[in-house]
Amino acid sequence: MSAQRLEFTLNGGTCTLDVDPGASLLDVLRDDLGLTGTKRGCSEGECGACTVLVDGTPVDSCLYPAMKAAGKNVLTIEGLGDPSHLHPIQRAFIEEGAVQCGFCTPGMVLTAKALLDRDPDPDEQTIRTAISGNLCRCTGYEKIARSIQRAATKAAGPSAAAPPDETPPAGAASPLSSGEAPPSTPVTTPSLGPGAAPVAPVGHVGSSPARLDAVPKVCGTARFSDDLSMPGMLYAKVLRSPHAHARIHYVDCSKARSFPGVRAVVTSADVPGRPNYGIITKDQPYLAIDRVRFEGEAVAAVAADTPSLARQALELIEVDYEPLPGVFSVDDSLADNAPRIHDNGNLLLMRRVLRGDPDAAFAQADLIVEETFRTPLIEHAYIEPEAGLAWLDEDVLVLHCVSQGVHYQRGEIAAMLGWPVNRVRVKQATVGGAFGGKIDLSVHPYIALLAVKAGRPVKLVYTREESMIASPKRHPITVRMRLGSDRSGRLVAGEAHISADSGAYASYSYAVVTRTAVCAFGPYDIPNVRVESLAAFTNNPIAGAMRGFGTPQLAFAHEQLIDMLAAKTGLSPLQMRKLNGFQPGQAHTPSGQYIADSEGLLATLERATEAATTATAAATGRREGNDAP
Amino acid sequence: MRCSGYLFAHSAGEALSLLAELDGAGRVIAGGTDLMLAPGEAASATLVDISQIQELRYIEQRGERLHVGSLCTHEDLATSPLLHERAAALAAAAAAVGSPQIRSVGTVGGNVMNALPAADTAIALAALGATADVLGPGGTRETDLLTLYAGVGRSTVDPAREILTGFSFRIPRGSSFQRLAKRKALALPVLNAAAALWDDGEGGARTEVGIAVGPVATTPWRATEAERLVRGHAPTRELIEQAARTAMTTAVCRDSIRSCALYRQFMVEVLVRRALLEATGLAPTGREAAGPGTRSSAVRGRAHRAAPGRTDGGAFDQDAPASRRGGDR
Repeated sequence: MSAQRLEFTLNGGTCTLDVDPGASLLDVLRDDLGLTGTKRGCSEGECGACTVLVDGTPVDSCLYPAMKAAGKNVLTIEGLGDPSHLHPIQRAFIEEGAVQCGFCTPGMVLTAKALLDRDPDPDEQTIRTAISGNLCRCTGYEKIARSIQRAATKAAGPSAAAPPDETPPAGAASPLSSGEAPPSTPVTTPSLGPGAAPVAPVGHVGSSPARLDAVPKVCGTARFSDDLSMPGMLYAKVLRSPHAHARIHYVDCSKARSFPGVRAVVTSADVPGRPNYGIITKDQPYLAIDRVRFEGEAVAAVAADTPSLARQALELIEVDYEPLPGVFSVDDSLADNAPRIHDNGNLLLMRRVLRGDPDAAFAQADLIVEETFRTPLIEHAYIEPEAGLAWLDEDVLVLHCVSQGVHYQRGEIAAMLGWPVNRVRVKQATVGGAFGGKIDLSVHPYIALLAVKAGRPVKLVYTREESMIASPKRHPITVRMRLGSDRSGRLVAGEAHISADSGAYASYSYAVVTRTAVCAFGPYDIPNVRVESLAAFTNNPIAGAMRGFGTPQLAFAHEQLIDMLAAKTGLSPLQMRKLNGFQPGQAHTPSGQYIADSEGLLATLERATEAATTATAAATGRREGNDAP
Repeated sequence: MRCSGYLFAHSAGEALSLLAELDGAGRVIAGGTDLMLAPGEAASATLVDISQIQELRYIEQRGERLHVGSLCTHEDLATSPLLHERAAALAAAAAAVGSPQIRSVGTVGGNVMNALPAADTAIALAALGATADVLGPGGTRETDLLTLYAGVGRSTVDPAREILTGFSFRIPRGSSFQRLAKRKALALPVLNAAAALWDDGEGGARTEVGIAVGPVATTPWRATEAERLVRGHAPTRELIEQAARTAMTTAVCRDSIRSCALYRQFMVEVLVRRALLEATGLAPTGREAAGPGTRSSAVRGRAHRAAPGRTDGGAFDQDAPASRRGGDR
């Protein structure tokens, strides 16, 4: 491969440079030109975070050969607006609250621009189709669709001719509650720099102030971990186990160490301090020690001058694996003679909750329903893969990285190095979605070890595949649940046997599984309850923290059973829930917690019923009006 | 993606001569949305980009046939008024591919060259009985579309020496494309089906029909037994029911990460029935009418209830993360 000359128009200016002829436009924009507003989410054309406009048309720049841009006109988020000169679409995204993590935002805004350029007044379906190649995991699409509509409405308004670089008057007030605001309504956000939009008044409960960080996010100037770089920076890659369960006889890194461009290689032998980590149980090696327990477990890490050299060096590391039989379900894990995954056995923990006398209550119950439910492992699928940069600031190691818990991560890195915590600093970069999945360590130990060993800054960005296999997921759960009621539908007894697959290590399982036990029946008041909840190790991917923390799996079970019981009693599903839902001031959870204040179930049901009734009436009216079949 | 160089051809002739000069070391690239994901595939090759060859980007009627250039993007097909009027199945199939970003870059020729058995436009073209034009050093050869397939992901067209230039087919009286996928965008089909119907009058005696389904075999699959039932008859609802059942019983479905074979098997009947009903212009039954529609719509939960004797839909796994593209060389 030799570099080829590429000439194109970029954000209105001529751009000429020599590129790898096989490079994607995304690589050239980010790595060669430093335009990091275009995000790398999946590198497979799935997520749309890398969307740019080529001659006005949205393309996935990760799937677009850079050479194709020759002679064309490319627009990236950097060319659309900047913090002091927001484009109307960027402003609408802020005003409608369509910006959360901000990682999908640049691509989404550009897709919206292409749409509004060709259709200034799109209906909702047109908007939804247009953005169907841009995934968002935080906000959902309602607010995004509304912002595009808002931008369209404004463009159609009397000051449609207003240039996009119109600087809003300073000091204008919130709230942004009305869609009728004049087009010159400023973005009410705290000042983020000279010339930035004005400061929002504080203390307006019930108003919708703009997010503090919305402006840099819509402009692509927010710095996510993969957007960071330093002079002399090295690139890290991690060697991962191809086996779900195997003994490691040796790891030979000598060829990789002497490979040109490689600056550091680390294995568990290079961990000077405590060898294991874990949020609650310190059972997971930073790098595998004599054994791997899931496919994708880290065995070694390399830092080299380029990502490509680091990747090549991984192939030179020789690992002698002896595959061991694995277990891939909780049942198999807890069977007699099952292969032991950890020395203490495969049962990680058991939680029991007993309230009242469930046996007697079931014996007297008029109606009983029972079922077994299974829920799958679920991936968080944040659009931003895990990434971080580590460097030594004199004798302090600094990590600027994805995080949902800088203090926890600092403690683990310090323990790994055998350093006092005041020699480790963890800075959270802007995080592109997490949902619990970035609480654990991910890139942190590898960049820390490599930066210390190489004495140079080290950056590591997970591939999407790595993110999928290596970071903790939602627990797959099997629950056998039984509910009993009297003839009127009043719940009298509940029983649940819950088993959770923790995967190879404990991560947050203690907390998640405890939550499944104490929240097993959701917001329903049941006087007699027995719950038994356990977690077991398997050779599956690690399960840890994810939104809801074990309760969504149980909701799947108890909501089904409530419906089944309603059918038996003759009550509607709604009546059944109103009859049994927590009444603040009277209710107790299975673990005996007194529900003193509103927890909102009954009020929510009321409001949902009203909304559904209104919507149904409207739909019925429409159908009749249209004389449709 | 890796390659050793990148050249542009501005005419089919120029592309051929570049490939000839490279003498096996060249490789054709069109939209590139699939090739970009095949890191080693063209590693030592010099890519010859044909996507700017305007002469291969046409959709036109010549007599009783429609001709479609191989470099039409999926977006070109999905928004072509001529296709919507004369071969709706192909327009709908193109609209179902990937996402807007992929449809605007990926080409119909690439979708066929990539040789996957359920490529949406290939299923539509197979039902339409399309022929393909392949330009090589010895000139152009016209061949049945299905002869381009040598197996999953393998085309009989040599991307180092030949160019797939276009497709043509006889304009049908009606055609329809149906698709079952887990989402409305960025999801490969669990199953897709297309039907096309030609009718030269005479009370149905000269009815001709094409029915294609994927992924049912290693290549786009023609439901020939079902076609035989309809051929030569005026299509009726009963005949269509019978043909759809025959398609189901003769299809050999596979388990994959997107669906188990059994579920696919049941759905063959549903999709073929819907495709035939729409292609023939017969009013759909109440159940079908209440379905989520045709064209690019993803058929969702409702389809489960339509499965005879089975309601759980089988073991559904997550979609394979890779290769959701429209397909391109």
